[in-house]
Amino acid sequence: MTTIAAGTAAFFQRATGQMGELRRQAESLQQQIATGERLAVSSDDPVAAARLRALGRAERLAQVDRATSDDTLQSLRFADDILATIGNEIARARELTVQAASDTLSTNNRALIGTELEAIASNLLAAANSTDNAGRPLFAGDSDGPAYTLDASGNPVYGGTSAAVAVDLGDGVVIDRGVTGPEVFDFTANGAPANLIGFVRSLALALQDGAGDPAGAARAALEGFGEAFESLSRSQTAIGVRVAWVETVQDRQITTSEARAEEQFAAGGVDFASTIAELQQTLVVLEASQAAFARMSNLTLFNAI
Amino acid sequence: MASDLFTIGTSGLRAAKSALDLTAQNIANANTPGYTRRSLGVAELSGNGSIAKTSSIRLGGVMIEGAQRSQSAFLQAEARRTGSDAARATAQLDGLRVAERSIESAALFPALTEFEASLAQLANDPLSAPLRGQVIETARIAADSFNLAARGIAGALDEVQFETGAAVDRVNILTAELARTNGNIARTQDGSSARLTLLDQRDLLINEMSGFAGVAARFDQFGRVELRLGDGAGPLLVSGNVSATLASSTDADGRISFTLDGAGVAPGSGSLAGGALAADGIANRLAELDSAATRLITLANDAQAAGVTPTGLAGAALFSGISASTIALALTNGAGLATAPAGSPANSRNIGNLGDLRNALADSAGPGTLIDNLLFSLSSEISGRDLTEQALATIAESAAAALSQETAINLDEEAADLIRFQQSFQASSRVVETARNIFDTLLAI
Repeated sequence: MTTIAAGTAAFFQRATGQMGELRRQAESLQQQIATGERLAVSSDDPVAAARLRALGRAERLAQVDRATSDDTLQSLRFADDILATIGNEIARARELTVQAASDTLSTNNRALIGTELEAIASNLLAAANSTDNAGRPLFAGDSDGPAYTLDASGNPVYGGTSAAVAVDLGDGVVIDRGVTGPEVFDFTANGAPANLIGFVRSLALALQDGAGDPAGAARAALEGFGEAFESLSRSQTAIGVRVAWVETVQDRQITTSEARAEEQFAAGGVDFASTIAELQQTLVVLEASQAAFARMSNLTLFNAI
Repeated sequence: MASDLFTIGTSGLRAAKSALDLTAQNIANANTPGYTRRSLGVAELSGNGSIAKTSSIRLGGVMIEGAQRSQSAFLQAEARRTGSDAARATAQLDGLRVAERSIESAALFPALTEFEASLAQLANDPLSAPLRGQVIETARIAADSFNLAARGIAGALDEVQFETGAAVDRVNILTAELARTNGNIARTQDGSSARLTLLDQRDLLINEMSGFAGVAARFDQFGRVELRLGDGAGPLLVSGNVSATLASSTDADGRISFTLDGAGVAPGSGSLAGGALAADGIANRLAELDSAATRLITLANDAQAAGVTPTGLAGAALFSGISASTIALALTNGAGLATAPAGSPANSRNIGNLGDLRNALADSAGPGTLIDNLLFSLSSEISGRDLTEQALATIAESAAAALSQETAINLDEEAADLIRFQQSFQASSRVVETARNIFDTLLAI
């Protein structure tokens, strides 16, 4: 209970103090409306402020995760496109090999087919060494250099790492960005391990070399192309699954971000309707107390004597 | 007979005139700090008559005994005690608020979050030069924010120390002034207006004193004060015309301690106690800030040492310094960031080492969490103390109101007194007139 002071000076002091406090409250509400933030400093509501700090940090890191997801998705789609190109090249090479396998073809024509296959081999090499739009090699794993280089005798050598790059998409989701070169290009031809680039290249050389049995070599290679297709489609499936996965992750990121924004508003946002009503109420009380003060301070016995 | 009436009427006139003077004095001093309401002490004047007939009526009118101060020792003590408590809470809260503002305005937590975010971005493309440059810039901002927060907190500590030092000087002036007032009080006459003015001055000084430190006052028959620090058993501040000297000192951490005439004392309330508590609180926060900065330096530099740069070399230290005020960026080129674990070939995109650093930073012992905890503990302490301060201020206000009820001037009351004493003056003048009429009647016989 507050004791009402009888002193005149105390009356003025108390009245100005109370009006000052009301004014301070009104100004604080006005500031909340102007900034849209309920808290000016942490001590206004320590628990909400701590929550806001945690949410702010989570949102900032989630922004990075979202950018990473977008980037990963692009990279995966790009890899998918490149794999499709490689598929086309394999189909074309197989078609040419079927033609070359026919005994009716002249040696000259077979040599021409060999030249075309050689071009396909270098296309395949270029595709294997392609990079995504950030300049990162698609099929070299962690390595920054090209996936395949040709050694002195023209055989492809894999220069990348054995595992694909693992990307952290946040919330503990780690996904492989792309596939490694060996996953795409290595297969088993007639029971022996083979590399697609080297396989096409040696077939091209065999067809151009009229001395041996080019048609026989072409026939022997036909089965190998089937294996190469299988290896390729395994990689394509893997990429496709990952694209779908990243898309799911992105959906969840958006949902989480919305939930976070809602929680941020609940912890530190200003509810305009109630804040404006509160401001109005404070102003009414302030005006009333000012009017009351003016009336009270006029009430003195000296006016009557 | 008529001369008796004349004397009685004159004494009444004199008393009413003096009472009117005092009322005018009260009205004039309605806004004077420390002024307490005066009232006139009067007594009936009557004679004993002759030796033989003691019962005969011998009236002499009214006698002025002297001016009196309205006072209440209990309410005074209560107002001082509650005022001291409120002053302590305010001083402590003010100091902590400055510390909070300086940490928040340094935007330390957002800066650390940005640093983490830039590391997360780098993890997606560890060889990108722009992303590496961004990590260096955010690291620089984090270091700058630590410097800024440390400077702000040190500034808050300085401010508290300065204010406490100024308060100690003022306390010494007050105690010396009280000792002098004690001497003067003894030399004045009881009931004289000079004595009353000195007593007002004495109470004003004790009240100001109680804002700085909780004191216990005891008064002798003349009104001289014996002032002790704390309660009635505390060390003597003022006794007679002797005053003790208060001094403050600060230790290396910035904590404040006090001595009275060389002996250590700890004021329990008042702004001196509040200042010492605030300095303690701020010094603790500075230590926490330092440990967060040291944690960031250790984590970043250890991670750098554990990994290799794109050129295959071991990483150099990212930060230099040993505290929040000395932390600085040591690595200025993004190419020097060791993202790959030791043993990786040149230009490796392996982010094993970077991942370790990110995990360590996000850990519950990481600098971000330490700063978050620091802000939370500081802001909840302020929020709690704010409630305490409001409660103590209300209590102090009620005590001051109760005291002012006794001692302060109420103009309405004075106006009523003015009419009352005017009427008694008029009544006494009628008595004199009646005396004259009687005398005239006697002469006319």
